[in-house]
Amino acid sequence: MTTCDRIPPRRGSRARRATWIALGLVAGAAAGAGGFRIAVPDYAWSFPRDHWAHEGYRTEWWYFTGHLDSKEPGARSLGFQFTIFRIGILPARPPFRSEWATSGVAMGHAAVSDLDRGEHRFSETVRREVPLLASFGLHPDPEIARVQGPAGTDGAWTLRWNGDGFDLEARDDAERFRMSLSTRAERPVVLQGPNGLSRKGDAPGAASQYYSVTRLATRGTVVLDGREIPVAGESWMDREFGSSELSEEQVGWDWFALRLDDGRDLMLYALRDRGGEAGVRNGSLVRPGGEVRLLEASDWSVRPLSTWTSGVTGATYPAKWRIEIPSEGLALVVVPDFSEQENVARTPRAPFYWEGSVSVLDGAGGRAGRGYVELTGYGERNRPPV
Amino acid sequence: MIRVFLRGLAAHFRAGRTLLILSVLGVALGVASVLSVQILNGSALGAFEGGLRAVSGEADLTILGKVPTVPDAWVREAMSERGVAAAWPVVRTPVKLEGPGGVFLDLAGVDVLAPVWFPWDVPPGEVAAALGAPGWAAVSEKLARERGWAVGDVFDVSSGSRRVRLRVGLLVDFRKVSPLAGDRLVVLDIAQAQDALGLEGAVHQVDVKLSPGASRAEVGERLARRLGPAAQVLTPEQRRSQAAGLLSAFRLNLTALSLISLLVGAFLVHTTTQAALVRRRAELGLLRSLGTTRRQVLAILVAEVALLGVLGTLLGIPIGYWAAAANVEAVSATLSNLYLLEGIGSLGLEPWVLALAVAVGLGGAVAGALLPALELSRRDTRALLAPFSLHERVGKAAPRLAVAGCAILAGTGVWYAGLGRGWRPAGFVVALSLLIALPAMTPWLLRTLCGRLRARGFGLAYGVKALGVKLGTTSFAVAALGIAVAMLVGITVMVGSFRRTLEVWIDATIRADVYVTTESWRRARETAVLDPAVVSALLRLPGVRSADRLRRTRAFSGERRIALVGRDVGMPGGEGRFVLIEGDRADAIRRVAAGEAAMIGEPLARKAGLGVGDRLPLTAPGGNFEIPIAGVYLDYAEEHGSAVLDLSALESRFGLAGLTNVDLYLEPGASPERIMDSIRGRFPDAPLELLSNRRLREEILEIFDQTFAVTRLLQGMALLIAVAGITLTLLVLARERVSELALYRALGASRRRILRVFLGEGVGMAGLGILLGVPGGVALAMILIRLVNRAYFGWTIVPSWPVAALARQAAVLLAAAAAASLYPAIRASRTPATELRRDDL
Repeated sequence: MTTCDRIPPRRGSRARRATWIALGLVAGAAAGAGGFRIAVPDYAWSFPRDHWAHEGYRTEWWYFTGHLDSKEPGARSLGFQFTIFRIGILPARPPFRSEWATSGVAMGHAAVSDLDRGEHRFSETVRREVPLLASFGLHPDPEIARVQGPAGTDGAWTLRWNGDGFDLEARDDAERFRMSLSTRAERPVVLQGPNGLSRKGDAPGAASQYYSVTRLATRGTVVLDGREIPVAGESWMDREFGSSELSEEQVGWDWFALRLDDGRDLMLYALRDRGGEAGVRNGSLVRPGGEVRLLEASDWSVRPLSTWTSGVTGATYPAKWRIEIPSEGLALVVVPDFSEQENVARTPRAPFYWEGSVSVLDGAGGRAGRGYVELTGYGERNRPPV
Repeated sequence: MIRVFLRGLAAHFRAGRTLLILSVLGVALGVASVLSVQILNGSALGAFEGGLRAVSGEADLTILGKVPTVPDAWVREAMSERGVAAAWPVVRTPVKLEGPGGVFLDLAGVDVLAPVWFPWDVPPGEVAAALGAPGWAAVSEKLARERGWAVGDVFDVSSGSRRVRLRVGLLVDFRKVSPLAGDRLVVLDIAQAQDALGLEGAVHQVDVKLSPGASRAEVGERLARRLGPAAQVLTPEQRRSQAAGLLSAFRLNLTALSLISLLVGAFLVHTTTQAALVRRRAELGLLRSLGTTRRQVLAILVAEVALLGVLGTLLGIPIGYWAAAANVEAVSATLSNLYLLEGIGSLGLEPWVLALAVAVGLGGAVAGALLPALELSRRDTRALLAPFSLHERVGKAAPRLAVAGCAILAGTGVWYAGLGRGWRPAGFVVALSLLIALPAMTPWLLRTLCGRLRARGFGLAYGVKALGVKLGTTSFAVAALGIAVAMLVGITVMVGSFRRTLEVWIDATIRADVYVTTESWRRARETAVLDPAVVSALLRLPGVRSADRLRRTRAFSGERRIALVGRDVGMPGGEGRFVLIEGDRADAIRRVAAGEAAMIGEPLARKAGLGVGDRLPLTAPGGNFEIPIAGVYLDYAEEHGSAVLDLSALESRFGLAGLTNVDLYLEPGASPERIMDSIRGRFPDAPLELLSNRRLREEILEIFDQTFAVTRLLQGMALLIAVAGITLTLLVLARERVSELALYRALGASRRRILRVFLGEGVGMAGLGILLGVPGGVALAMILIRLVNRAYFGWTIVPSWPVAALARQAAVLLAAAAAASLYPAIRASRTPATELRRDDL
C-alpha cells in the first residue's frame, strides 16, 4: 500500500487541502523513508532526560489535559488540553545551508472548555521545524519545545521543564484565549505497558514508548476574552514516541484518562478497526501509593451508552460509557461535562476529534472522579494519520 | 432594396477585384498593426502575472524588500500580525540552464510544508524527497517535454559562479494553475533553493494570506509598520501596476507606434471607400434618378463599407496574431534584458483586444466612409452623373485646411510652452498635432507644388502635374504616405542619434580589457554573485594591472526603484569610466571613493529632480538614509535611474556580500584573449562569462538594436499600408479618368506614354510624400529626442543625421512606389479610345 491510499480523497478548495499536507500527509510522507528508530521492549528509560524530544522517531507527543478552578467570585470551572506534537518526515535534518532545512514539523493543539457555560475553544498551530518557527530543546536546556503560535498571534507556544514539572504557554488571539500554567508532578512517572512499550498492533514496530504522569498540581492563569482568571487544579500528562502508524484496518481510537476521587488513576485505550471492533486494548491502574497494575484486555470493558452527533462535522461520537473492571471492583459511568468539546481546526478539513472533560460517576450516580476522553477517527474521511 | 444591394454588391466585387483586395487588405493591415501591438503589450504583463500566480497563488499581500533580499525572520513577523491567516517565504530568481541554447529557468523556492496556499501541491509521497533529496525540483510538464526529461533525470543550472545539479522530482502543469505561467518555472523547497543560490537567511518575498474578514489595507499598513522602512507590502493589483509602471515607457512606445499605423490605415480605408464610391457615382446617379431615396443610397454605401470592414477585420486578426507571434522573441528579449522581467512564454488574446480589433476594423471603415458617403448621398442626381466635382471642392478647401493645420501646430506649440511642459505625455500631444497638421496642409502644398511644375510633354512630369488637379483623391494618398515617411524618418533619426550617442558613451566608459561576470548575471543580476575565491584568483592573475570590482544591485530611493552599483570608484587610472554632465570629476571621485557621497545617473537626476549638492535618499536594510550627490554621469544602461557608491560604502550600508562583476585592466601588451584563456583554464567548471572589450561593445549595440526591432516592424507596416495607398489611388484615378484617357488615346497618345504618365503620378506621389514627410520626420525626431525621451527615459541624445540611411530609404520608397504604380499604369494604358463618350467632347 502506498501512502497515498491512506490519505482521504482531497476535495474542496486549496485551502482545505492545505492542512492535510501539514498534518496527515507529512506523517504519511515519511512512510517509505526508512531510517527511523522504532519502539523497543528494552528501552533504557532515564528521567528527566526522557521528557525532552527524541530525534530519530517519526512521531512524538506531549499531551496535557486537566481541570482548573478559580476561587474568585463568579469564577469558572475549566477543562484544558495542551499538546505538542513532533512529526518527523526525515530521520535527520538534511545538510543544506539554510535555516529552513528541516526533518519535519511541529504542531500544537490547545483547548479550553468552560464547564459552567459549556463553551469550548480550540486552537492549532502547525509549523515547519526550523529554528525560526519551531524547535525542540536538548536536555538540560529547560525549554523542551517551542512552536510559533497560530497565524495572527504574536509569540510562541512553549513547553518548559521547571525541575518539578512542566510550564505550559499557549495563546490564540483570534480565539481570544491564552493559558500560562505551571505544573508540579505529584506522582512518579508511570510506564504504560511492559517497560513502557505500548503495543498498537501485531506488526513489529507497531508500538510506541509510552509513559504518563497521572497527577500534576497545576496553577497559573487563563485569559478568556481579555479577562485574566487565576486558576489552580490538577492535570495529567501522556507522553509517547515511536515510529508506527495505524495499520490498514485501524481507523481510530478511544482513550480514557480518569483521576478517581479515591486516589486511583485509570488509563484505558482501544484501537478500533473498520468494523468498529476494538482490536488492540490496553490500560493501567495506578494506586494511590504509586503502584501500577497493567490491565489486560480481558480485565476491563467499556460500553457506550449513548451517542452525540456534531453539528459542525456531522460525526457521531459515543457520548456516555459504562466502564467495568471487576477485578478492581470498579463499575463506573463516564459522562461528558458537555457535548460540544470537538476539536475542529480553523483550517477546514483538518482531521477533527473529540477531546473533552468528563465526570466519573459511581454505580449509584455519585461523583467518583474527573478525567479526559479522546475519540478519534469518527466521522467521514477522518482517519487520524498517526 | 436588400436584393438590389446584394446583387449590386456581387457585381461590383466581381468587377473590381483588385480594388476589393486592396481595400480589404488596407483594413486588415490597420487592424493587424493595432492588434499585434496590443497582444504583445498584454502578454508582456500577462507573463509577469502568470508567473506571479503560479508561485504566489492566492496570496492577498506580498511583502517585498526595498533592498534585494529580506531576512527569513520576516516570515515569522508576518505570520504574527493580527489578521494574517498564513505567511510563507518565497525565493525567486532566474538561473541559467547549463548546456547549449542559453535558456534561463525561473527558479522559485517555496515552503512545501507551509499550510500550503499555492495553487498546486506536492503529493504526499514526494514531501520527504522535496525536503531531503538533494536537487529535488518540480518542473513544468512542457519544459520536461521540450528537453526530453523524465522524473529522475538530472540537469544543471547556474546562479552566479555556482553550479547546481537539480533532479526532476515532480512534473506539474503550471499552466493549469495559471494559463500564462511561464513554462520555465522550476520549484524547489525553500531550504534547497537557499542552499542552491547561496541565499542562506534571505528570501525575496513573503506571501501573506489574510483571515476571512480582515482588511487588506489595514493589515498591509500594520505589516509595513511592523517591518520598518525597508519593507513594501503590496496587493496583487499593486504588484501588477508596479510591473506595468516599470514597462510603461516601453508599452507606451509600442502603443504610440501602433496608433500611427492605425492613422495611416484609416487613410487607406478612406481612400478605398472613396475609390469604391467614385466608381459608382454614375450608378448611384442612375439609382437616384430611378427613385431611390438619399437615405437608401446612404444605407447601401454604408452596408458595403461595413462588409469591407468585416472582411478586413477577419483577415486582420490572424495577421495581427501572426505579427505578434513573429515578434514575440524580440519583445521577450527586451523585457528580460532591459526590465529583468520574465520573458513572454505564450501569447494571450484577451476578449477586449479582439473587441478592439473589431472596433478598429469595422468602426474605422464605416467612419472613414461616412463623410464621402454622406456627401454622395446628398448630391443631386445631375451632379452625380457629372464627373470631377469632388476635386473642385477639395481644391477650394485646400487653403482653409492648410490654415487650420498651421493653427493646430501653432496652438499646440503655445500650449506646450505654457501648460504642457510639466505634463509627461505632452511630447506625444505635440507629435500627434504634427501628424494631424501634416495631412491638413497636404492639399494646398500639393496644388501649389504641382501647379508650379512645368510639364514639357505628355509623360512623367505631366503625370506629376496632374496630381495637383485630382486633389480629392491624391491628397489622401500623399498625406498617408507623408505620415508614414515622417514616422520612418523620425524614428530613423531618433534611433540613429541614440545609437551614435551610445557609441560615443561606450567609447568613453567601456575601457577595461576583460569583463568578468557570470552566465546568469544577465537575467538574475544581484543574485548572480561570484565566488570570493574566484574573485581573488582573478585579481592575482599575471598580466592584470588593476581591477574594478562591482556589486550591482537594486535599491529604493524614496518610492523609486533604481540600480545601485558599488564599485572601486577610486581605482587608479579609472577616472574615464565616469562621464559627468554635472559636478567636477576629480572631486566627485575623491568624495565617492571616501564613502562621503554618491554619483547618480542622468535619468535619475532628471526624473527625481536631483543634482550636485542635493542629497540622495536611499533605503538600506537598517532603514532610510541620505547621502550627498557629488556628480551626475551619463547613463544609458538604466532607464529607471542608477547611482554609484564606493564598494566599501555599499557593503557597510547594505551589508551585501559577493560581487557580480569584475572588470580587469591589463598590463600594456598583455593579450585579453590569453588572459581569458587562462581564466577558463583555471576555472573550467565555473559558469563564468568573459567578454573582451570589443565583444562587450558589440553586445551593448546588439541589445540596443534588438530593442528597436519591433519599431522596425511597425515602420514597415505603415509603409506597406502607404504604398498600398498609392496603388489604390492610381486605380481610382484610372477609373475616374477613363474618358480623359480615352481622349488622349484618341488624340494619338501611345500606350507607353499613358503608362509613363501613370508611373509619373505614382512616383510623383511618393516624391511628394517624401518631400512632405522629411521635414515632418525631422520635427518628429526632435520631438522624440527632446520631449518624449527626456520625459520618459531622461537620456541626453545628441541628434545626428544618418543621411545615407535616409537616402537609402527614400530610394527604396520611390522604387516601391514605381512598382506599386505599375499595375494601375498598365490598366490605364489599356484604356481603349472607344471609351470616349459624347459628353466628353
